[in-house]
Amino acid sequence: MNTRKIILLFCLLFVLVSSATAKTTISWWQFWTDPSIKPVIREMVDEFERQNPEIEVELTDLTWANGHEKIVIAFASGTGPDVVELGSDWIAEFAVNGHLADVSEDIAGDSSDYQGWGMADYNGRIYARPWFLGTRVLYANRELLERAGYDDLFMPVNWNDLRVAARKINGLGKGIYGWGSNAPEKHRLYKKYLPFFWSAGARIFTDDEMKLCVVASERAVAALDLYKELHDSCGYVANQRGIEDAFLDGKVGLIISGDWLLKRIENEQRKINFTTGLIPGLRFPGRSFLGGEFLAVNEASKQKEAALKFVRFITSPENQVKFCVANRSANPSSRTAQQDEYFKSNDNLQTFIRQIAMAKHPPVDPNWVFIETALEEAVEETVFGSALPAEALFKARKKIDGLEK
Amino acid sequence: MKWSRSSALLLALPWILTFLLFWLFPILYSFIIGFTDQQLLVKEYQWIGLDNYRALLSDPAFIESLKNTFIFVIGTIPFTTIIALAMALMVNRQFKGRGLFRAGYFIPSITAMVVIALVFTNLYQRGGYIALLASMVGLSPPEHGLLFDSGTALYSIMAMDVWMAVGYYMLIFLAGLKSIPEELYEAAALSGAGAIRRFFSITLPMLKPVVLFILVINSIKSFQVFVEIFVMTRGKFETSTMVYFVYETGLTTRFQFGYASAAAYVLFLIIALFSVFQFILLRRRQALW
Repeated sequence: MNTRKIILLFCLLFVLVSSATAKTTISWWQFWTDPSIKPVIREMVDEFERQNPEIEVELTDLTWANGHEKIVIAFASGTGPDVVELGSDWIAEFAVNGHLADVSEDIAGDSSDYQGWGMADYNGRIYARPWFLGTRVLYANRELLERAGYDDLFMPVNWNDLRVAARKINGLGKGIYGWGSNAPEKHRLYKKYLPFFWSAGARIFTDDEMKLCVVASERAVAALDLYKELHDSCGYVANQRGIEDAFLDGKVGLIISGDWLLKRIENEQRKINFTTGLIPGLRFPGRSFLGGEFLAVNEASKQKEAALKFVRFITSPENQVKFCVANRSANPSSRTAQQDEYFKSNDNLQTFIRQIAMAKHPPVDPNWVFIETALEEAVEETVFGSALPAEALFKARKKIDGLEK
Repeated sequence: MKWSRSSALLLALPWILTFLLFWLFPILYSFIIGFTDQQLLVKEYQWIGLDNYRALLSDPAFIESLKNTFIFVIGTIPFTTIIALAMALMVNRQFKGRGLFRAGYFIPSITAMVVIALVFTNLYQRGGYIALLASMVGLSPPEHGLLFDSGTALYSIMAMDVWMAVGYYMLIFLAGLKSIPEELYEAAALSGAGAIRRFFSITLPMLKPVVLFILVINSIKSFQVFVEIFVMTRGKFETSTMVYFVYETGLTTRFQFGYASAAAYVLFLIIALFSVFQFILLRRRQALW
């Protein structure tokens, strides 16, 4: 055997060994960077790699400030990750342009254990797997309620209770407000109005094929009337964070917020005497806004199988519980996870789990961002301007009709 | 050592490449896509001619941003210029602690806009110091704060902008004042000219190039107002300006690059026309002065 043959043999062996040990690398872009949760994310990734030695996961952190822009630019330039975390209202905009893999077949087996599929369903196909859901509930300052004459079991369950309680708290003195009224914050204001809108039985579109916009209905007007009344009579106006600050400082009696506030109260060791309850409805507890975090696979990914495997692993009930415990969050999408003792042992977390069951998500529509803007403008024009609720909602309907043509 | 033309070019190459790649190319590219319906996530786009420009003219959001931008420009430039000139005249005189005043007036100009905007957001809110001061002099500020009312939000931001900008322009005026020969004032004083006459006959004409520079620079800056709006109101309460409109259209919601580019070119055209108008106006004034 001459030298050339030996070198050739070595090269061949090298190629064979390399290909035998080559790992599939999948990239995952996600938003959880909080020091309390990042190690858990890392731990889950490590565990996945341990169980699947042939797959390597490349983790990239995004921020809420510019994560959406980064994802859009990456997908548009063909450099999107294999797996990406998407907010529920972003799914349609990526799905309609063919950027997300259709995972309808993949989820067929275990869909019954998960909630929130509706938000990933675009034209009858599923484009993402629900990871965590998000809803809003009513927070009440127990001390202010008691000072207003209520016993320690009271919590407003209907619109009238809410109206009266907010006014009574507002009457406690200067600097005390009954209701936290959200300033015109983009992507947030509509989430404060929708709970009343859904609870009144209002809809954005008809359910039939005509898909007519019906936001200017009598029920929607009634919901906006109530929202305006609360704002005018006893509203403390600030952005979401400002309202929560005021609530924690004991200045506001009743606010609508998410589960992140529970975490904040714990982290900042606030001594506030508070309670949570379901969103008040017309006569009984009503429906809240439903959103969520989803994991989607890039349609252009060359490692779809590995990516789907990873998505299944991360969204498994065990990992959801692990995540929620670390993040003190209340909204796993898996029903099995919701049965965990961690959720059962905490009344406030139970409020969120019960509210999720009664919550409703906005329509999955590529135009949602504009529909949302039209709704927010209607609320702004009514609450901060001089428009009548019916007039503002009629204007919103015209804008939405224009989008859907 | 003698520099050859090629070595000079080589040394300038990093800048030339940066200019071509990150300035000239995007400028030309955005001009072209202004005639298309390009959206970032949509894979295909079409040439639509002037449709974007036509759509802009009937877009209420664009018209509102255009109106607000003009209010901002016309409402801030005269105040900024006059106050900056008055301050420069004041700190140009000899008095104790002059350096402290000069530095104090200039500090807002070197402070990050985001920081200033956040401070003023607090000052303007319900129960903030501005509202308190307004109440003390018998005014009734909006119930939920100055930034949560369409009647006051834009003007509040404009007032903050004037406060922030005057120090910078004061310094430019000061440099202009220093370049005026002292003999002119002495001769005028000997001829019996009073302070007001000296100001209008010597100071102002001699400062004409500085005034022109400040007007042009300030106009361009004011037409491009964005950070204040982004931090303080996010375009709500009738405060959306043209650059904010471009940002909203191009970099949020649907990433409508074509439409946003067309809006950006409308802004470019307005700034160019406004600058030319200022040049012509001041050239005529020179003849009068």
